[in-house]
Amino acid sequence: MNILLFGNPNCGKSTLFNLLTGLRQKVGNFPGVTVEKKTGTFSIHEITHTLIDYPGVYSIYPKSQEELVVYDAIKELQSSAEPRVGVVVVDASNFERGLFLFSQLADLDIPMVLVINMIDLAGRNGIAIQLDALKNELKHTPIAVMNARVGLGKNRLLDALAQQIKEQKSENYFGINPTIFEPEAFEQQEADATKRQQSIRKLAERVVVKKEVQAQKSKLDWWLTHPVFGYVIFALILLVIFQAVFTLSSYPMDGIEWVFQQIAMHFAAWVPEGVFQDLLCSGILPGISGVLVFIPQIGLLFFFIALLEDSGYLARAVFLMDRLVRPFGMNGRSVVPLLSSMACAIPGIMATRGIPNAKERLITLFVAPLMSCSARIPVYTLLISVVIPKQRFLGVVQLQGLVLFALYLLGIISALGIAFVMHRMLKQTTRSIYIMEIPDFKPPHWRNIFSTIFEKIKVFTMEAGVIILALSIVIWALSNYGPTEERANAVRELKAEATYAKANAKERNQSEAAVLLEHSYLGKFGKTIEPAIAPLGYDWKIGIAIGSSFLAREVFVGTLSTIYAHDEASGNFRLREKLMREMHPDGSKKFTLASGVSLMVFYVFALQCLSTMAVARRETGSWKIPILQLVLYATLAYTAAWCCFQIF
Amino acid sequence: MNLTLVPISGKAKIKEINHPFLRTKLLEMGVALGNEVTVTMRAPFGGPIAFRCGNSNISIRLEDAHHILVN
Repeated sequence: MNILLFGNPNCGKSTLFNLLTGLRQKVGNFPGVTVEKKTGTFSIHEITHTLIDYPGVYSIYPKSQEELVVYDAIKELQSSAEPRVGVVVVDASNFERGLFLFSQLADLDIPMVLVINMIDLAGRNGIAIQLDALKNELKHTPIAVMNARVGLGKNRLLDALAQQIKEQKSENYFGINPTIFEPEAFEQQEADATKRQQSIRKLAERVVVKKEVQAQKSKLDWWLTHPVFGYVIFALILLVIFQAVFTLSSYPMDGIEWVFQQIAMHFAAWVPEGVFQDLLCSGILPGISGVLVFIPQIGLLFFFIALLEDSGYLARAVFLMDRLVRPFGMNGRSVVPLLSSMACAIPGIMATRGIPNAKERLITLFVAPLMSCSARIPVYTLLISVVIPKQRFLGVVQLQGLVLFALYLLGIISALGIAFVMHRMLKQTTRSIYIMEIPDFKPPHWRNIFSTIFEKIKVFTMEAGVIILALSIVIWALSNYGPTEERANAVRELKAEATYAKANAKERNQSEAAVLLEHSYLGKFGKTIEPAIAPLGYDWKIGIAIGSSFLAREVFVGTLSTIYAHDEASGNFRLREKLMREMHPDGSKKFTLASGVSLMVFYVFALQCLSTMAVARRETGSWKIPILQLVLYATLAYTAAWCCFQIF
Repeated sequence: MNLTLVPISGKAKIKEINHPFLRTKLLEMGVALGNEVTVTMRAPFGGPIAFRCGNSNISIRLEDAHHILVN
């Protein structure tokens, strides 16, 4: 049977959902919208039931797009005769508010179970609920008192569910006409709500015993929302998170790549040489590795985000940042996804789910890839070391460091600029509301945090991963195949060269790889676009590197080293020195300040990341937005790079 | 007087909310006319303010708080 789970935000609904279903969860979307729909299964007396988790709401009447899901679901329930049980989770400290939602649902002829949750906190707030009196008031509703965080009352809940599944009893307790009003009919909703709350208040007087407790005055909130300390603390927390994500994720990332290299090597030994071996070892396995390599970053980042959310800090950060990002058409909730994108745009875009307003969410998702992610660091550092002299600026600041900082700043400023333009251009379809409860601080609940991490990783691997893998294989094919005859001729010419005869086996292999890449379809692509990228100061070699780095930006560095492996003049120098010595036919340097800066600026803007596009498609439900991002950011990158090449 | 003028830790009684959407939304969150609220936090630079009503701490933008008239 379908069991529908409802409750106010922060009532412990997700904790209860995780407690009942464990890892037997499925995450998808509600039809037509990108609002997360979590379903899970659990059994009572060996019969399996499905638990559906609805977004947290205060009322069945929607006040945001997310809440519309609940309204639509309830309208559908009303017209169907299928047996079901509704569960309303009530935070015992906010008993009357929770019971309000319960009363709306109970009046609609849905057999209900009532959960009084977080009973421990209520005790500390001086609130005691007399269960016998409550059972007397709600005769046909099984009631379970719980503290879901520690698993207390799970059996009571299962008993209550078993009873209601069998009996299917519903009752209109409050004698209010069970009609569902239109979402915009505020006057009718208000009149209805006022009547309900009057009856609920009377009921509460009979069952709730309140004791005056000295309100704990927390100094913490004073510090956290202070005009100076508040932002300093927020910045420090973010700094610690980034440092941790960078340093901790590099070990598992190296590990994943190493394991896949080993697997590829073993396969290469087993599988007979040929197209299949090549596809498996250089196409599919690196493709899978290229998907899995993101998992440590996604996992770590969501570990910290979930930690901030579950402890209650995130609500304070949103409170603090809302005013600063509003002129750009964003919401306080946009700040964490945007800053997460500085580690990696993939978890950043996935984190935009927390933004309730559709327009604000779209803007945040759209500009997130402009924040310089960690994959750009290898590109930036290589180019900086080639074209920016090791000098001090004004005698104090390291010039190379300053340029790196400027690149990050350029990303942030353009993200805000584009957000501002979108804010002006897009019509607001729904109200931008910011009315949010700020929960009290509480120790984080590990089961909730790990369930979030698990869910995010699963969604990324299963939905975006497949697309990334498929496209990786396409790019692999383009870089490994080309006109057969032309490639054979090129290799023959290479072997005739004098330097080739002198080279050792390793150098010969490298030169052959470089020549083959030059004459592959990807190489053709590089040469074809050379006229187009020449105004930016690039040649076909950089064209190939840009093309192949579409898989992931850091591939740029690897591709350049492959191409420059075959270069008689440069000999055995490291890539950095090779690039510095690279000359145009007329004898001028190829990597000058102008072409280097132009290339770095290109990488600030260009959406050179298949994985980001795959995730944006998943989060918006179509290819429209990622393709628009690709085209707009490519145009921007081209224009900005051209300007830089002209100026410097 | 409206809610934005209440200082931190200041108490006030809600007299009227002159905005149908806000009035309904806040009512559903348990903030009804006649309730006593205590302002708990104020975000810097004209950001949102937060107030406690019963056992919940609710934050709202300043422009919306202007609609909440208090005694």
